[in-house]
Amino acid sequence: MTSTHPLIADQVTRAFGQVTAVQGASLELEPGKITSLIGPSGSGKTTFLRLLAGMERPDSGQILSGDTVLASATHHVPIEKRKIGLVFQDFALFPNMTVLQNVMFGLNALPKAERVGVADSWIERLGLAHRRDAYPHHLSGGEQQRTAIARALAPDPVAILLDEPFSGLDPSMRDRVREASLSAIRASRAPALLVTHDASEALIHSDTIAVIDQGAILQSGAPETLYRQPGSLAVARALGPVHKIETDQLPTDWRNTLNPKSDTLWYRPEAISLGDGLELTVSGSKLAGPITELCLNLSDAQQVYVACQPGAPLQTGDTVKATINPALFFEFASEST
Amino acid sequence: MALYTGVAAGDGATWDHLLQNRLVPYTITTLLTLLIAGIIMLGLAVPAAWVISQYEFPGREFFSWALILPLAMPGYVMAYAWADLMGVAGPLQSHLRDLTGLSARDYWFPNLFSVPGLAFVLGTTLFPYVYITARAAFSMQSLATLEAARSLGARPLDLFWRVALPVALPGILAGLCLALMEAAADYGAADFLGVQTLGVGIVRSWQSFNEPNTAARLALMLVLIAGSLLVAARLYQGDKGVQQTSSKWLAPRRERMSRPVALVTTTLCALILVICFIAPITRLLWLAWETDARSIDLWPLLRATLALGAMGAGAAFVAALIFTLAAKRSQFLRMITRLIAAAGYAAPGAVLGLGALFILRETGQALAGPIAITFLIWVYVSRFTSAGVEPLQATLDRLPKNLDRAAQSLGSKGLRQFFRLDLPLLAPGAFAAGLILFVEILKELPATLMLRPFGWDTLAVKTHAYATDERLAQATLPSLLIVGAGLLPVLLLSWRLGATERS
Repeated sequence: MTSTHPLIADQVTRAFGQVTAVQGASLELEPGKITSLIGPSGSGKTTFLRLLAGMERPDSGQILSGDTVLASATHHVPIEKRKIGLVFQDFALFPNMTVLQNVMFGLNALPKAERVGVADSWIERLGLAHRRDAYPHHLSGGEQQRTAIARALAPDPVAILLDEPFSGLDPSMRDRVREASLSAIRASRAPALLVTHDASEALIHSDTIAVIDQGAILQSGAPETLYRQPGSLAVARALGPVHKIETDQLPTDWRNTLNPKSDTLWYRPEAISLGDGLELTVSGSKLAGPITELCLNLSDAQQVYVACQPGAPLQTGDTVKATINPALFFEFASEST
Repeated sequence: MALYTGVAAGDGATWDHLLQNRLVPYTITTLLTLLIAGIIMLGLAVPAAWVISQYEFPGREFFSWALILPLAMPGYVMAYAWADLMGVAGPLQSHLRDLTGLSARDYWFPNLFSVPGLAFVLGTTLFPYVYITARAAFSMQSLATLEAARSLGARPLDLFWRVALPVALPGILAGLCLALMEAAADYGAADFLGVQTLGVGIVRSWQSFNEPNTAARLALMLVLIAGSLLVAARLYQGDKGVQQTSSKWLAPRRERMSRPVALVTTTLCALILVICFIAPITRLLWLAWETDARSIDLWPLLRATLALGAMGAGAAFVAALIFTLAAKRSQFLRMITRLIAAAGYAAPGAVLGLGALFILRETGQALAGPIAITFLIWVYVSRFTSAGVEPLQATLDRLPKNLDRAAQSLGSKGLRQFFRLDLPLLAPGAFAAGLILFVEILKELPATLMLRPFGWDTLAVKTHAYATDERLAQATLPSLLIVGAGLLPVLLLSWRLGATERS
């Protein structure tokens, strides 16, 4: 049904006065796949989405749907002709229309008789059949967001762009809404971009993750790849906590295992696990739900942070044995912080 | 004050056929005028507000405040200016004849002295009320909603009709109702243009025909119309259309128009401004210059105007202050206050004037000297207090809620608190309130006309007398003075609107 063309950003740049919001960003959104775009606030996530949607014009570079040029420095297909579905954090439903009318809004191209049928099938697919004739202000946040997703998918868009769609939702319903929404989006086969600041959301729910910082796309790839093989400190940090350790502070055993080439190493807290190995003293312990965050003394000057499941409560001063997983230790060229 | 109008209505209990003969046509004329004026107001205000809030075009920033300027002109001044512009000897028809070589009898030209003419005058002076509310309604809309609509293929006109307008409609209609209420209360323009509206009927029935009962019945009808418009305005403003505002993309991103469209837009906005403000003002200035209007002695007029204005504004200001502070103390008082103020606001000047005259007659007092002035000021207070409450209340609403309790916990109360805390805090609002009250009173015509004692002609009264005597030249200078004074609060208002937009 939906186009099987990818949506492509090729070396796109956009500046506002002195500030360059997006700098030579390239990304390919594949049909039927969900690509997450993550980055700190002010990193250019939203501007990038607005460029793809046609709400902003690029200063240079191209935006393409398959072979069709949607935007370049000289050519601009306006937002209303791009057929790109948009979903916003604050839902942006039309308050004067029912769920059905909202979903039918983009179906003007169809004969009138077919519109209701198409809209109803999307309403059904998102589990909103019982709310079909309700107005937005009578819906819960989750129902509003599912309506917004049905509305964006109904006209069979060439791509769908979601700007932090789930962060405004109550945590208790967020998972269910996200599940229903993303499976509907996958089924539609439209290329999808999910802008989020929630690393775990990106890791769990997307097929591809792209990390943006200071307007540039630093790395994109499968979640596993980005998490385990970040190309830079910024990418590593975007996907989860990392800690720093000076090479010369490493115990000899660990240094031999890791064989580092630079003075500084970075590691994920789960890179160190309890069990066999080096005997270390606990200098702090915090229970954080399923895992416990431990702080262990390597020496008087150096501590390491460990995310683990110790089995029994640990106290400061206890000794534990710890070993490392070298795959989760990273070396980055030319990064100081 | 509500009782006040009750007196007026209660007295006219007897019906007769003569009355019916006048009541029905006057009512129909009034409603027809309101209908046409309403269409004119919507037609001018809503498209202007839409393009100004959504698009970027040359002069946008200027028009965004300049379109409020017509509010400075009382309807009657607009009527004088356009009557002169459109008259047989006026510049429009002279040029038409020069261009076509026709004589005055050979062609049809719109007649201002008619119901559509009156509607034109009232619509062009009062449309800024609708413009202001429409602007607010459009700019409050979530930009994301509009962008979502565009992403679903909505073209600019779709966007306006299907998305923006339905959401903004309650606000726009509320503004329209207020503007129509003002239009219904008009006396000066209708009297000058010879259109028999209820406002004109009330004054005439009392003064010319000496039929107080007729006047009272007409007044009741007018209050009914104005009151229902006020109620309608409140209803529209109710909690309908729960608006989602995006916190994220609220910053206005106005779409740039293509060059030809921008040119047409700028021209149309300029045309509105020319018709509603620049042309009439220029004509009055030219007339004042040409006819050497300085010959009339303005001094007694100014003295009476300033004296009545100062007394009225002072009294109304104190009333507004008491209302505002009382409302601060309790929710119940707040409700009562709003009700009283709204009742006064809905009562046209002619009706209040009539009420005062009834009371004077009942108590056997003659309409002279200090008594007349007292009653006139009473009418001013009744009619305009709500106009003064609004800016005071707005100032108060911006203050932290616990300020009073903090002051009380420090042992401050009563009059001490009033002078040390309330008054200084209200100062910015008080200035606006005083200015608005003064100018409203200065422009007020029907009640002043009915109640002023001998020798107390105000600028408005004298202007009207000159104009209805077809001595338009003499009317220009006082008219310009009224407009000049009226500009002050309007400029203050547009500055405040601009400030909210910039922030």
